[in-house]
Amino acid sequence: MSLAVEASNVVKVFGNVRALDGLSFAVRPGETYGLIGPNGAGKTTALRIVSTLLLPTAGTVKVFGLDVVKEAGEVRKVISYLPEEAGAYRYLSGWEYLEFMAKFNAKSKDEVRAMVMEAAEICGLGERLKDKTKTYSKGMKRRLLVARALMTKPKLAILDEPTSGLDVVHAYHVREIIKRYVETHGVTVLLSSHNMLEVEHLCDRVALINKGRIVAEGAPQELKEKFGCKNLEEVFARVVKIA
Amino acid sequence: MLKGFGTFLLKELKELVRDPKILLPMIVIPLVMFPVLGAVMGYAVQTAQEQAIKAKLIVVNNDGGGWSNSFVSFLKRLNVTIYVVNNTKLDDKKVLELLSQHNATQILEIPKGFSENVTAHFSNPAVKASLRFYSVLAGTSIFEGTGSSVIDVLINQFNRAVAPDVVYSEKAAVIKGEIKYGVDPAVVSGLLMSQSIALPLTVLILLSYAPQIAAASMAIEKEEKTLETLLTLPMDRLAILWGKLSSSIIVAAVGAVAYMAGYSYMFSSIMAGAPASLNLDLASLGLVPSAWGYLLLGLSLFVAMISALALAVILSAFAEDVRSAQSLVSNIYPLVFVPSIALIYLDINTLPFALKLVLFAIPFSHPVIASKAVVMGDYWTAGLGIVYVSAFTLVVMYVASKLFATEKILTAKLKIKGLKTRRSEKPAEEI
Ligand SMILES: Nc1ncnc2c1ncn2[C@@H]1O[C@H](COP(=O)(O)OP(=O)(O)OP(=O)(O)O)[C@@H](O)[C@H]1O
Ligand SMILES: [Mg+2]
Repeated sequence: MSLAVEASNVVKVFGNVRALDGLSFAVRPGETYGLIGPNGAGKTTALRIVSTLLLPTAGTVKVFGLDVVKEAGEVRKVISYLPEEAGAYRYLSGWEYLEFMAKFNAKSKDEVRAMVMEAAEICGLGERLKDKTKTYSKGMKRRLLVARALMTKPKLAILDEPTSGLDVVHAYHVREIIKRYVETHGVTVLLSSHNMLEVEHLCDRVALINKGRIVAEGAPQELKEKFGCKNLEEVFARVVKIA
Repeated sequence: MLKGFGTFLLKELKELVRDPKILLPMIVIPLVMFPVLGAVMGYAVQTAQEQAIKAKLIVVNNDGGGWSNSFVSFLKRLNVTIYVVNNTKLDDKKVLELLSQHNATQILEIPKGFSENVTAHFSNPAVKASLRFYSVLAGTSIFEGTGSSVIDVLINQFNRAVAPDVVYSEKAAVIKGEIKYGVDPAVVSGLLMSQSIALPLTVLILLSYAPQIAAASMAIEKEEKTLETLLTLPMDRLAILWGKLSSSIIVAAVGAVAYMAGYSYMFSSIMAGAPASLNLDLASLGLVPSAWGYLLLGLSLFVAMISALALAVILSAFAEDVRSAQSLVSNIYPLVFVPSIALIYLDINTLPFALKLVLFAIPFSHPVIASKAVVMGDYWTAGLGIVYVSAFTLVVMYVASKLFATEKILTAKLKIKGLKTRRSEKPAEEI
């Protein structure tokens, strides 16, 4: 069985910034894999390359055996990407937004309806789904977008800081949903996060990225043992300081 | 064929219709702007009449009697530029010959019996003296034919000095080298004017409005950070481009109807002063485009529109927000405004070669050129224009599709600082 994501020696150069500098990692089907690292480490860049938005300067990335450059169209059918910073269409209601998005993945009207109902439950916006998205708070918008990303039950969900901007209760709710999706729908998740609690709670394995390179990788428990730390936060601080 | 096109177009239309920033100017502007324009043009017509007095008038005096001589000296006293020819029998051939010989556009014939009739009028008011007025109509400038109303004014003044209603004029229009008797050039040119202005104006509106809409809707995807998600969806990326092109065409067309409503109101206010008999049929004079002509015209407008929209989408793809997108797009405005406005007033065939070349090179002047060409039955000019603009459009669409196929659509950006635009050299933190 092919890997869900296989990144080998990925380099991404923006002008004179080397955002990724020989990044390699592999995500197994069905697991939740987290990228963590300081600001500007290259997490978003890596996720964007996996989601076919950016082209790698060098190296290859495969998603379920499909090359993200040469077979971008095929890759887009199996992934769902939640950008770090994203908006919804201001003049559409939450319902309309979800329906619009569902139509690209669904093959029938029934499927569209099923997806939208699913999303409605995930985001927990209730009656507010009838309102235009321009009236939503930041967190409400985020919940809508998370729901959008998961409702299609993609083979690979790429989530860039899924719970950023959410209150404790909703962040918890979203984490539970992600977990449930992995368990019941066999979704593979590749995410980035600044929340070590979240990473420990969700991820089977994590990669610590610094300056576009992986500096440590493994299950949260393994990493803690390896560096002799009580929690991932300490591991993070130690590794980044060393690097 | 383009996966996701229908879904995307529907979303685009919903957004456009609900956005007050777009709907307001589509409805408010036309209703305010056109009546104002109407007043301005009414004034312009007046000035043109004053100008027409200075145009050269050939007077053919076939009468030679006392009254005819006093009419000629009356014209001279009013500083009308005249050239008098005596005793020349006017037939169609002779009229055309005289006109080209003296490089003039109007002839006033004083027929034999003029003086006799004026004299007879004093004893029997039923007897009247007629004058015959010929005026060339090339259908290329809106103020042609004003000479005809000037003649009426002159005759009125003469009548006031001699006797009420003693002299009247019979009008004839020279159209495409043929003389149409009983056709008042002022009326014809008034109708032509509605055609030769209505079309360029519509073109102008469509070509300036639609690209703004397209640019705004593209830039808003970047500003609101929705583009990133869109680009990872299993859809044809060109559906985004075409969805934006189509929706802006649709909205612009609806806007154009609103504009035309305002315009026709404006036009009726200009024509309010025009003489009656407006039910003159332009088609019978050969001054209305044939079905074939309309087809060419539509085609010409369509290709020019697509190229302008694609250009706008490309430009706005480089902008990070709606405001910079719109200021980027306004850079193509001179290319739309200058030819449209210039061609309302000028005849491209009479322009110096270099200027002609410049106008032909600008893709957006072709719909206006075509609108005039097809009225005059010149399908070649219209056809070649379509070929040229289509080639231009293909190039633009090719560039646009290349842009959409790569990450450039997401990462390309121009920073706008004052009037200068430049490609940003330093990496920015976010897209
Ligand atoms: N479009 C771009 N143009 C130029 N430079 C870019 C671009 N995108 C990212 N970079 C640069 O690449 C580097 C990595 O950025 P990236 O957004 O991947 O970091 P990150 O790990 O996601 O950070 P954060 O935790 O702040 O989200 C940064 O130095 C950034 O300035
Ligand atoms: Mg990031």
